[in-house]
Amino acid sequence: MQNVMTKQFSYIGIALILAIIFPLVVTNTAVQHVAILFFMFAMMAVAWNIMGGYAGMFSFGQVAFFGIGAYTSSFLLISYQVNPWIGMIAGGLVAAFVAAAIGYPCSDLRGHYFAIASIAFGEIVRIHFNNWKLVGAAEGLSLPMLDGGFKDFMFHSSKLPYYYIMLAFLIIALIVCYLISTSKMGYYFRAIKESHDVAKVLGINVVWYRLIAIMVSAFLTAMAGTFYAQYVLYIDPESVMLLPISIQLVLISMLGGAGSVMGPVIGALVLIPLSEFTRIWLGHRGTGIDMLIYGFLITLISMYQPKGVWGFFTNMGKRAK
Amino acid sequence: MRTKWVSIMCVSLFAVLFLTVSVFAQQPKTIKIGAVYPLTGNIASTGLDCRRGAELAVDIINGKYNLSLPLAKTEGIPNLGGAKLELVFADTKGEPKNGMSETERLITQEKVVAIIGAYQSSVTKTASQATERLKIPYVCSDSSSPTLTERGFKYFFRVSPHDAIFAKDQFQFLKDVEKKTGKKINSVALLYENTEFGSNVGKYAAQYAKEFGYKVVADVSYPANATDVTSEVGTLIKAKPDILMHASYITDAILFTKTFKELNFTPMGITTFAGYIEPGYLPAVKADGNYIVIRSTFALDLAKKKPLIGQVGELFKKKYGVEMSENAARSFAAPFVLADAMNRAKSTKSEDIVKALLTTDIPGDQMIYPWKGIKFDPKSHQNIYATGTLVQIQNEKYVTVWPFDAAPAEVIWPFPPWRGRK
Amino acid sequence: MPEQLMQQIVNGLLIGFMYALIAIGLTLIWGVMNIVNFAHGDFLMVGMFTSFWLYTLYGLDPLFSIPICTLLLFVMGLLIYRFIVSKVMAGPMLAQLVVTFGVSIFISNLAVYWWSPDFRLIAKPLLSGTWDISGVQLSIPKTVASIGSIVTSLFVFLFLKKTKTGKAILATEMDREAALLMGINTERINSLSFGMGAALVGIAGAFLSTYYYIYPQVGGVFGTIAFCVVALGGFGSISGAFIAGILVGLVQTLGGFFFDPSYKYAIVFMIYLITVWIRPQGLLGW
Repeated sequence: MQNVMTKQFSYIGIALILAIIFPLVVTNTAVQHVAILFFMFAMMAVAWNIMGGYAGMFSFGQVAFFGIGAYTSSFLLISYQVNPWIGMIAGGLVAAFVAAAIGYPCSDLRGHYFAIASIAFGEIVRIHFNNWKLVGAAEGLSLPMLDGGFKDFMFHSSKLPYYYIMLAFLIIALIVCYLISTSKMGYYFRAIKESHDVAKVLGINVVWYRLIAIMVSAFLTAMAGTFYAQYVLYIDPESVMLLPISIQLVLISMLGGAGSVMGPVIGALVLIPLSEFTRIWLGHRGTGIDMLIYGFLITLISMYQPKGVWGFFTNMGKRAK
Repeated sequence: MRTKWVSIMCVSLFAVLFLTVSVFAQQPKTIKIGAVYPLTGNIASTGLDCRRGAELAVDIINGKYNLSLPLAKTEGIPNLGGAKLELVFADTKGEPKNGMSETERLITQEKVVAIIGAYQSSVTKTASQATERLKIPYVCSDSSSPTLTERGFKYFFRVSPHDAIFAKDQFQFLKDVEKKTGKKINSVALLYENTEFGSNVGKYAAQYAKEFGYKVVADVSYPANATDVTSEVGTLIKAKPDILMHASYITDAILFTKTFKELNFTPMGITTFAGYIEPGYLPAVKADGNYIVIRSTFALDLAKKKPLIGQVGELFKKKYGVEMSENAARSFAAPFVLADAMNRAKSTKSEDIVKALLTTDIPGDQMIYPWKGIKFDPKSHQNIYATGTLVQIQNEKYVTVWPFDAAPAEVIWPFPPWRGRK
Repeated sequence: MPEQLMQQIVNGLLIGFMYALIAIGLTLIWGVMNIVNFAHGDFLMVGMFTSFWLYTLYGLDPLFSIPICTLLLFVMGLLIYRFIVSKVMAGPMLAQLVVTFGVSIFISNLAVYWWSPDFRLIAKPLLSGTWDISGVQLSIPKTVASIGSIVTSLFVFLFLKKTKTGKAILATEMDREAALLMGINTERINSLSFGMGAALVGIAGAFLSTYYYIYPQVGGVFGTIAFCVVALGGFGSISGAFIAGILVGLVQTLGGFFFDPSYKYAIVFMIYLITVWIRPQGLLGW
């Protein structure tokens, strides 16, 4: 057991070192951009996984928290010159609060009802932001170009700082997820996922633990939202609140393997470069062929590898033993 | 054991990423210009249109053509030893984040000296932020959001008119048509889809309505992908406006046209933006589109007064087998402006190009648009001569009807009732 | 302004009947198999394109292509069930949720690939124009589509209640294990209901194509609303979906008229959220 643990850590160490030296070797900013997107989507998928993979709440409205995070920090920066780092914490708190407010009445909803309710929630938030004059409505918010530097969370000459910040965020999310999954809370989550009724009989406060899962997930997702805003410097409801982003998070988690710490990271590692590079290479032909491949892959994987790539490797590992 | 598999996969995927570097290799022989357009996704057909316009422009610059366009008669850019232009296209899928990343990729990997394109204003926003950060000139001739030139960017220039200009044009048209026909117009209803484009038009239209002394009796915004718009049209009917001013994309333009007819909504005139002039609109609605007035920067029938338009239109049709559309015509402008600036600057250095762009003065007879010319405002970098024209659909064709003195056709006014048309 | 109010109620009903017709196919699949068919909107698109091509290539009016649409979609549904969906029935719920997403992305992009992303409209359908009933405009194609929706729903309702196969479907919906014990071939029932669900939305597609524009992503909004309608009515409840469809149509139209059209879908989603807070199983679900 000890051996397995050290081995596991050594692999994680190798992956981490690779990730750290990667942008120093590959100076191509286009590839660095894809790597940043990969970290960002991996982080959000890890956050999704906490409520979806562990606690069994399949949310299709996650993008609302992403958008709330992006909007809160940007709005505070533009209107009150609040530092984006503080704005990010504020965004996380607002998202967690909204999550609790919507999650509490939804605490009886399971399975498909929850999934549909989350779509409805995401759409309501998007429609509202699209018409909310205070935050620029459909025009969105353009962030001012600050001097640049770590203090401003804004870098003009190089992508490296963005890369390392997002990598750090991803690691934070992974640690949070790991801690939850190995703690008592993780077991409670899994019990709730199996059956509400059994969890209740076991004396687990279902409503409370579901709320915790949603709030943690929302907070982390909102952090990614602030990152996006600081990175792209322009947000509008069309780019940070659209349903397909939520769906992509579900697909990443499912593809990598929901309910495991590293699963979503693997999923993002496959899907994000796939979709970005197919666009760069095939996109200018404009036939939709990249999306065809994408849809086909998803169908295939859910049919033959319903536990995701992670599940595939777990099985391989077991067989190899 | 499973971690072994995972690490093997991680390593191999990283290796793939490393390898991709080689794909972005470059060979600097010609002058490269980056063109970002939505070539896949929902508005891919529009992106293709824009792409064709820009391509034809570069063809004309690179080759010898007996046209009055800038640099048409010479091959390449004379002051740079006849250097040829090359367009490098990138697909944005219509998403702002791709606008940023593709622009950065074009500049840092493909080493383009300038950027054109984007079409959607939200994508142009992020793409121009990237050029501003990397200090590369961006000449835009296809995005119409007024906010783009309100940001005080140093490297961003816009040739085409923006929505505020278009909105003002429409009110000027109303004044003119009142004078011409003697039919008094008192009220307008504003109808606009609620993304960035529509709400901006709505904002400026409301402002100009006040300036021109018209009463706004309804101000209706709606989601562009609506399944049913009967409640919107109901609100309009209740308001009984003399004029309806509508900013839409193509899907909602089709749906509204059908619903206007269905519910028999007949104001004195319907003047519109964008959606009604997309290439897909007329084939979809056919005769139901008749008599609607649309803002435009270009129409092939202007060839009657400006032969250059006919010549370019011919070239376009020969090359692509379809008529040159308004979108293609707008994207056609940017390469000329850039080439002209580089020729005068005798350099492809960013600062030199920008300096030359600021002194751009292309006369109107060298362009396919009904403008006085191209000259950029020193502060906003908006082309001060850019104006719109208005076309009307008559017999299922777009004909230019305004400005009255330049227009080859007469406007049909007021809007004939739906019932009783053939 | 009672005339305008009447007009809005009529319009709400007309679009509501269409939502109902789209939703009953979805609710059938959902109820029997406990699977959300996210490709439902794309089935609708296929139905619309089928009647568009039959019209364009063979001059067959959408009204007469209904049987062909129904049959084609039935077969398509059957095949998709057999070769794709049935494979994930035993798998984790997430795979069941995701698999139809894959199908949805695939079908809609296949349509882009084959038919380009352009917008099309049936140029001169047999049904067109409006009736003017004391100031209230009644669109003829929409009215016929609504009658079609009522007849179809009634037919499905009677089929489920009166025939042996229908009763078997209902039994499977209520309790799969018990149905299996009673000697019902639930696998056959599954494929039958998936095919029927697809066929029903094919009918909706044919009717819709008489007055709506057609393009590869047309299923998006209709699909999302159909989920809401089904969940509002209660999963698997045909009459629930029917009532909820009409309700959503009315809410959307009247909400847009009296409140703000930009918020009309937000109002629909809000009504759904409020309903499931009070009744998590939907209006007529159990």
